[in-house]
Amino acid sequence: MLARVANNLFWMGRYIERSEYIARYLNVNYFSSLDAPHPLSQSRQFVLRSMLFMMGQPVSDPDLELDEEEVFFDITFNEENPFSLINNVNYARDNANSSRDQMSTELYESINKFYHAVQNYPVEFFKKKGLYDFTVYVTEMTAVLRGKIRGTILHDEIYAIIMLGINLERATQIVRIINAKYNDAKLAKGSYGDAFRNSYEWTTLLKCGESYDMHRRLNKKAPNSISTLNFMLLNAQNPKSVMNCLNQVYNHILVLDSSLINDKSTVKFYIGKIRSEYEFKIATEIEDDIQENIDDLLNKLTIISQKIEEEYFNY
Amino acid sequence: MSLRYQIEYSTTNIYENEAEGAKWQFLLVPQHLPEQQLLKNTTVTSVPCVIYTGINAFGFETLMVSSRHSFTEFSLRCTFDILKEELNPFDLPMKDTDSQYQIINSHEFKVDHLSYIRSTSLTHYPSHQELGFKFDRAANILDNLIALNKHVHDLLEFQTMVTDVNTTLDMILHQKKGVCQDFTHLFCALARGNAIPCRYVSGYLHQGVGFTGELQMHAWAEALIPGTGWIGFDPTNNILTNHHHVKVCHGRDYRDCAPIKGVVYTSGTNSTSYNVQVITQQ
Amino acid sequence: MKLNTSHPIFSAYKKNPKLFDEIFNKNGEVKQIYTKLFELYGGLSVEDFVNLNDKAKASFFNQGITFQVYSEAKQKEKIFPFDLFPRIIAPDEWQTIEKGAIQRSKALNLFLWDIYHDKKILKQGIVPVSLLSSSVNYLDQMMDLDPPGGIYNHVSGTDLIKHSDGKYYVLEDNIRCPSGVSYVISNRTALKRALFGVFNHYRTHSVTDYAENLLDILESVKPHGVDQPTCVVLTPGMYNSAYYEHSYLAKSMGVELVEGRDLYVENNFVYMKTIKGPERVDVIYRRIDDHFLDPFEFMPDSSLGVPGLFSVYRQGNVCIVNAPGTGAADDKAIYTFMPEIIKYYLGEEPILNNVQTYHCSKPDQLQYVLENIPDLVVKPVDEAGGYGISIGNRLTKQQIQEVKDQIKANPRKYIAQPIMSLSVHATYIEDSHSFEQRHIDLRTFTLLGKDKEFVLKGGLTRVALQKGNLIVNSSQGGGSKDTWVLKK
Repeated sequence: MLARVANNLFWMGRYIERSEYIARYLNVNYFSSLDAPHPLSQSRQFVLRSMLFMMGQPVSDPDLELDEEEVFFDITFNEENPFSLINNVNYARDNANSSRDQMSTELYESINKFYHAVQNYPVEFFKKKGLYDFTVYVTEMTAVLRGKIRGTILHDEIYAIIMLGINLERATQIVRIINAKYNDAKLAKGSYGDAFRNSYEWTTLLKCGESYDMHRRLNKKAPNSISTLNFMLLNAQNPKSVMNCLNQVYNHILVLDSSLINDKSTVKFYIGKIRSEYEFKIATEIEDDIQENIDDLLNKLTIISQKIEEEYFNY
Repeated sequence: MSLRYQIEYSTTNIYENEAEGAKWQFLLVPQHLPEQQLLKNTTVTSVPCVIYTGINAFGFETLMVSSRHSFTEFSLRCTFDILKEELNPFDLPMKDTDSQYQIINSHEFKVDHLSYIRSTSLTHYPSHQELGFKFDRAANILDNLIALNKHVHDLLEFQTMVTDVNTTLDMILHQKKGVCQDFTHLFCALARGNAIPCRYVSGYLHQGVGFTGELQMHAWAEALIPGTGWIGFDPTNNILTNHHHVKVCHGRDYRDCAPIKGVVYTSGTNSTSYNVQVITQQ
Repeated sequence: MKLNTSHPIFSAYKKNPKLFDEIFNKNGEVKQIYTKLFELYGGLSVEDFVNLNDKAKASFFNQGITFQVYSEAKQKEKIFPFDLFPRIIAPDEWQTIEKGAIQRSKALNLFLWDIYHDKKILKQGIVPVSLLSSSVNYLDQMMDLDPPGGIYNHVSGTDLIKHSDGKYYVLEDNIRCPSGVSYVISNRTALKRALFGVFNHYRTHSVTDYAENLLDILESVKPHGVDQPTCVVLTPGMYNSAYYEHSYLAKSMGVELVEGRDLYVENNFVYMKTIKGPERVDVIYRRIDDHFLDPFEFMPDSSLGVPGLFSVYRQGNVCIVNAPGTGAADDKAIYTFMPEIIKYYLGEEPILNNVQTYHCSKPDQLQYVLENIPDLVVKPVDEAGGYGISIGNRLTKQQIQEVKDQIKANPRKYIAQPIMSLSVHATYIEDSHSFEQRHIDLRTFTLLGKDKEFVLKGGLTRVALQKGNLIVNSSQGGGSKDTWVLKK
């Protein structure tokens, strides 16, 4: 496979996954806030700020009054904003276009339809009434795309590269959500016992990762900081956990690099090392310094991505 | 009698921003000819490079140099040891004048040598002007070409920095100044205008005997005289080529013979310098 | 069968008796070959048809079979308009086309070999040398170069029309990078999706075998000493208007779709950059023009090509398909000598007709042209895509004078031909929700390899969608139809 095409497929996977997380973050935060127990969690300004923080465009001025429609538009349909959802979908489709000869007609057609639907979505309707409808549409379409990826292309190098992109992006998004929600939880503390540990934001966090129900099933009680960190970072059975993503990333890199020699300079070695580190981590250790752990993990995920690019896309 | 030369070509390119790799094609290696033997050939670059020999579209040996490294400065130095035989330019087989013209006016001859008769953008004689030199049908073609050589030499004044590799004949005829490339382009245009196949030649000139050239590569022309062959004319110096001229390649004009062509992956400006030295070895 | 006016979608069908209609004969009866189809379509209501038409359009859009249009600031995606009424070609009629197309491709190939080697046809004055000496597409770089397998025009697109006399005429041969073949296939797919019921009433040749034949042809011209050649399709990139076709061909042949930046030359071989390092490339089906191929030999500022590629080609270590320099032979001036070229190399009479052509470079013919502009089509010799064409009977007095002045200023640049009357075919018109007569042509696709040849049984029937318009090119607002070649 061409190195350039591999790069396109990798980023196609990343942008598809990223679109889903932007959409769900908007959806969950907005609708959870409507009946949140903590007055701050209910505040529109608080929610909008959290959204912008998650997008990587935090607002530093505490007195700035944000306009809801403007923020929604900026995050979703603003083509001037490189991080907007519509641009993510555009990038995903551009990447699919330059590698379309490699993928199934079914997959390409779905991406293309998704692109046209987002391009033609009535923006005014979205601003007034369409937040739920649109964000759900995006998350469902991305699920369809993952289904087509899994079900219509050969599970060879091409698949491995797309899945590397998807899983790295998923891990990154989960860590970013943890980061944003940790930030929110510090501000909007819970009403009983240890206020930080029992913040309502942990519930929102799990919902953003489509993990709330499964967390309930496993823990049979309301989430707290420890159970949430455990579930989202370390529980390998949770398909949204960082641990699960790292395991998948490792399995897919083996498709590209099947050498038996453990060359320390390869990305395979590096991924293996990070994976082992997380396999034996304990949630309470992480909680001791959440911020540092988050920063460290984000940094390592970035290094993995860079190393993949250097090793496979930059011949 | 034979002469031995050592030729050294060097070039340095400096880039404003770091370049991420590059590919060059150099047309520098003296051609293998009966009167011109290449004894030794070395190439050194300042950046680690893959170097191999290719050929260009006209069959001449090229030096293909590519680098995947990052650099802001690239230099290359080639040295060639050459053994050159002295030939007498007047000791040539020559047809009578009538048969010469008969051949050049024949349809078959025109078709055979179309590539070197049709004009190129750099050898295009301004269409609004009457051809500046017309052959005297009474004289044979060699004499006419010698006269043409002198005509070009007298018409243009040698001056650097007034033309570049894209200057058209229109401009050159207007300012009547230029360097060896411009002299040669004009010679080619006028010879072709008189139905003589003529090609642009790039090479080295030994300057030890007071000839005009530069400390760069030299250019001259080769014209085809029926029954005789391709004969070299150096209009810059108003002479027939001799053992001081070391040929590298020929083509339709400068563009086919450019000593360096490159694709460099960088942005911003760059500057280039060249140096050529031709030394006689006793 | 009489035209049944109760067929609602045919109610507005006006027949111009001066035009050759592919469906109706002179008495207004449906020709036998179309009877069944006409019956089936006649049963549909206008609403049914509007629906089907919209579905077909959506299908092209969703499949991304689109091209980019750069108007104003933003680029727009457009589909190539597709018509739901197929064009049907009878078996014996097709046989003539197929034989004729192969004959022309072979003759052009021999012509190209000759003009890049011994130039006998020029020396004997059968084709004037002046046509080539002034052609920028006649590449000196190709002199005495033997392309692998001896083939220049591996892929040829022959544009044919049916005149009012009912005979096929060739309008031009396209042997640089002829495009459109992917539309033949996607038109068939779209028609099958929309009107699957009609296919079982006809025995139509399949068109899906093009890609495997193309791969066969590419592999047949592999460089010397290569056993299993690696073939690629070279595209200028996803913003090119034919990008869909490039990716379709690569995908259906199962080869890589590369851009210039994916390839590089080292030690006299071409390599592509893969995730596992360099992989040698042996045959390049390039969809970029000659002048972009190699910045060292052609346009120095081209970033679409591969530096050093031509050197590898000259040494026989890679095959470029079509060969560079084929443009010298698909020039409109060379076209007019096709009957002579066919006779000279093959010793055969041309199977397909050429349109009578007047060369403005010849004084007597120039005179005729200047005096008869209203009856002629004047074309520049070296423009593609239908640009610069003047159709005499459409011009005002002042425009005629302007055309005359243009010709006089540069006679070599123009040829003129009688106004050919392209046949018409029932075509669905969105604005009127009904079928109307529209002019059509036919582009066939011929492949030529080492000891191999193939003509796609089908072709691209292009339709001039504007009423009365004779120019069918997609760049000039043309559409296309599925084209059925019937089995014997």
